[in-house]
Amino acid sequence: MSYFLVIATTVVIYAVLSVGLNIAVGYAGQPHLAQGAFLGIGAYMVAVFSTRYGLSFWLCVLIAIVVTALSGFVLGVISLRLRDDFLAIVTIGLNFVVVAIFQYVPWFGGATGVYAIPLPSIGGHEFGNPEFLLLGLVMLAISVAVSGYISRTWLGLGLASIRDDELASASSGTPVASFKIAAFVVASAIAGMAGALYAPFLSAVTPTSFGFTESIVMLAMVMFGGVGTIRGAILGAIVLGALPEAFRFVSDYRLLIFGAILVLVLRFQPHGIIGTDSAAANAWKRLFSRPPKTEYDASCNDAASAMSVAVHGEPEQPGDGKD
Amino acid sequence: MKRTSTARVTAVAAAALLGIAGLAGCSSGSSTTGSSDQGQSAGSVSASNSSSENSSGGTIKIGFFSPQSGSEASDGKSALDAAQLAVKDINAAGGLDGKKIQLVQYDDGSDPKQAVSIATKLTTQDNVAAVVSGSYSDQTLAAASIFQRAGVPMLAAYAVNPGIPGTGDEIFQIATSGPVEGKAGAQALIKDLGAKKIAIISIDNDFGTALVQGFTEQAAKLGATIVSTNKNQFGEKDFGPVIDKAVAAGADGFYMVEYAAEGQQFLTAFRQRNLTQKIVGTEGIDSTQQFIEPNGKLADGMVFTTVLNRDSTDPTTQAFIKDFTSAYGHAPDMVGATTYDSFKVLQAASKNGTTADNLKAGITDLANFQGVTGTVEKFVNRISVHPVELQVFKDGAVHHYGTVDDPDIINP
Amino acid sequence: MFPALVDGVTVGALYALLALGPSLVYGLLRVLDVANAAALVLGAYLGVTLFRHGLPWWLGALGGMAGAAILGLLLQRFLYRPLLDRGPLVVLVASIGIFIALEEAFRLIWGPYPYQFPVNVPLPHGTIAGTPVTGVQVLMLVIGVVILLGSWWVLGHTRLGFTWRATAQDRETARAMGINVNRVIAGIFATGYALAALAGVLFAIRYNTVTPDMGDVPAYKMLAIIVLGGLGNPMGTILAAFVIGLAESVVNTYWGFILPRDTIAFLVLIAILLIRPAGLLPKGVTRA
Repeated sequence: MSYFLVIATTVVIYAVLSVGLNIAVGYAGQPHLAQGAFLGIGAYMVAVFSTRYGLSFWLCVLIAIVVTALSGFVLGVISLRLRDDFLAIVTIGLNFVVVAIFQYVPWFGGATGVYAIPLPSIGGHEFGNPEFLLLGLVMLAISVAVSGYISRTWLGLGLASIRDDELASASSGTPVASFKIAAFVVASAIAGMAGALYAPFLSAVTPTSFGFTESIVMLAMVMFGGVGTIRGAILGAIVLGALPEAFRFVSDYRLLIFGAILVLVLRFQPHGIIGTDSAAANAWKRLFSRPPKTEYDASCNDAASAMSVAVHGEPEQPGDGKD
Repeated sequence: MKRTSTARVTAVAAAALLGIAGLAGCSSGSSTTGSSDQGQSAGSVSASNSSSENSSGGTIKIGFFSPQSGSEASDGKSALDAAQLAVKDINAAGGLDGKKIQLVQYDDGSDPKQAVSIATKLTTQDNVAAVVSGSYSDQTLAAASIFQRAGVPMLAAYAVNPGIPGTGDEIFQIATSGPVEGKAGAQALIKDLGAKKIAIISIDNDFGTALVQGFTEQAAKLGATIVSTNKNQFGEKDFGPVIDKAVAAGADGFYMVEYAAEGQQFLTAFRQRNLTQKIVGTEGIDSTQQFIEPNGKLADGMVFTTVLNRDSTDPTTQAFIKDFTSAYGHAPDMVGATTYDSFKVLQAASKNGTTADNLKAGITDLANFQGVTGTVEKFVNRISVHPVELQVFKDGAVHHYGTVDDPDIINP
Repeated sequence: MFPALVDGVTVGALYALLALGPSLVYGLLRVLDVANAAALVLGAYLGVTLFRHGLPWWLGALGGMAGAAILGLLLQRFLYRPLLDRGPLVVLVASIGIFIALEEAFRLIWGPYPYQFPVNVPLPHGTIAGTPVTGVQVLMLVIGVVILLGSWWVLGHTRLGFTWRATAQDRETARAMGINVNRVIAGIFATGYALAALAGVLFAIRYNTVTPDMGDVPAYKMLAIIVLGGLGNPMGTILAAFVIGLAESVVNTYWGFILPRDTIAFLVLIAILLIRPAGLLPKGVTRA
């Protein structure tokens, strides 16, 4: 039982991270390969403040969220100056810079890291495996709620239009800068929250756990499941997150399988397994949704088309390859 | 705008989660890699939660984890090979307190998160009596608190992060204490080789930090000065500039705390410059396949601190070297020796029984235990205390050079 | 000062060789291909395997280049071409998946232990101003310069180069003009992968080691170099490679290993990009 709880908690932490990352990558269309760094910032905040300063875990979670939100703000500002591939590379670089900070700034414990992180307790009761999973699920619910809320508001519409055509979006009055920054702030804050849980769960943090590799895994989860969708991010976390344990019977080949699965899914379902316009999602739609009554209805289903209508003056046909 | 049904999403997610977890549970039965025929896993995993009943009839389960994939796979293979040899030897001699060892081993993929899952599995599903870690510090640290909370003794073969034995009374370290090894290195470089102005070049991780700390302390006591210190990352390949800097600062001795790959690059640059300074290395380069075989000639004259004395006259050590070499095609090294001894320590500690308390007491009370890593005098703060072996490279092979057994030095 | 320069230039030459291929690929297809670094590792392994079977190292290098070219052809045909219009992130993540899978395959095939590649390159070597320079380093510099001059000439002064550049500017129009776009894409990939394999062999000889994970650092560093050079500009990439190589060596010489080498590369990148968001030598290939 404990074993399943532990695996589930790991998966749930990944799910939280992926849902957060999806806001920046899926909603706002920004290449973000540094989610691992924000996981690390959140984790280190809890690690250092709860061991060296003896603060309560719950206070540390707040600190983690605030600090990562601020760091996300910085990344958001950077994203204003750079686009697409440039931004992607810079986020890659951010991983290295952050890991270097963890390793070289003595406050973070140096190469040895921070260990003996105390277990959180609530009402005097110390956390065990069930409590970790429960807290993880609460965090997941929060992230899903935040993400869902964003997607239904003007921020979500704005982000979608930025994703599809930033220039058009800006010329229609979307506050591109603030929205982009908001996307990064939220994505990072969610990562910080996950990191806060990660630290006591692992009981120790070391700099090398939060590098580029970790960020890639999270991005892979989002894209594998279905970029732009909450359900995709969660599915990606479940499948790729549980893979190392589920495939222990072919222990030596797990990483190979990971890479192969990732490639195959992206090759044949570039929108992700259950992403928008994937085979699974289309089948689901055919089975369960009413067909739209008019063409105007159909185009309104897609926020991007709504903006495109405003800018280009005609409804978008499905399957238009955007450059 | 399509309304995402959050309830629907969560239901699907929960169902998938349970499905995958179930799949993971079903695969818990077979946990061995194809190469091992020793580590048969628990085919029939009973749902027993009692941790005292951990052997069935004449067998006792011992857990083991090591990196078989990822960047640390080289050392992981060494460790696993040694573990399987140890189990074979111990079982041939009657096992632990009469019970044959059943090795339950997992690959942690050089990933601390997997170490957590493995530790949970070993303590709650496989119900092992004790665990040996054949892994690096990151993974061992993460796993240690789980073993501590579950009351399962764990021996760390070669990880040296101070947080590991510090986790609690179930956790023991077989590897030489980092600062102790550093002090021994200072003895070798300053007293034996006569260097007075030292340049330190070290890998920047917990291993490097611990050794450099001990070295610096002892160097001060011995009246030598450190003229330059440089720490590098894994994968560093160009040591030329820092060597030149050190030489310019007047260094007559180098203390090199590196692993095999970086050590090779350091020595290459060193030889290219035809330098004559003395070099003392550490157990970081004590790997047959990664360093000694390919680079023995490069390292000619270099002394290093380690645990395995290839020229030892002790029959256990000689037998170990011979058996390992014939079983695996290459000589054993530090990782292999410490892993092997972790099991031998368990064997010695099991004299009075194999419950967790018996083993813990057995290890703590160990005195002058004869292992392949020499004589373990005792465990202090759960770290093994033993003389530090000094080996030297001569004509491509390593030989005994000396021993550091001053109690002031080897007691952590 | 001089040791840092020598060190930096030789390291830079290696980076340039490695990054040239993916820079061409990017310039022409707007695709960031991390798997190109796997070609480096494949080249090294094939090279060292042939070498251990008695072949001279340069035949091993050619074998490695051939193998890598085949890999490139397969990847572009079955993975990248179908994904070209899906957006850069999909291709990037897919290429990372391939990279991971390939490095694992190398580990499973050749084992985790490092291989030695002891080659004594009989080229003039000795010391330059007190800094030892090996035959391999001279070789790397020579090959680097030859390849780089060669690509400058091919791209700018031959029909083939013209065809490639035309395809880069506008695939549809090129196709309408009768250019076999698919063949051009195949050619780009094959060439880029072969160059990376050559870099891999030289790298393996220079440092006398072949390991399954030797592509990790080059993979992302290569991305930084391409971006720094102004995406899609081969000359800019080469310049960027030397800038990064020199920056790393200079910092290492004057401040020791104060920062991890990789961090230096990315800090330089971030700093320069914040000042010049289009890279060092942005050119030609405009964004749609």
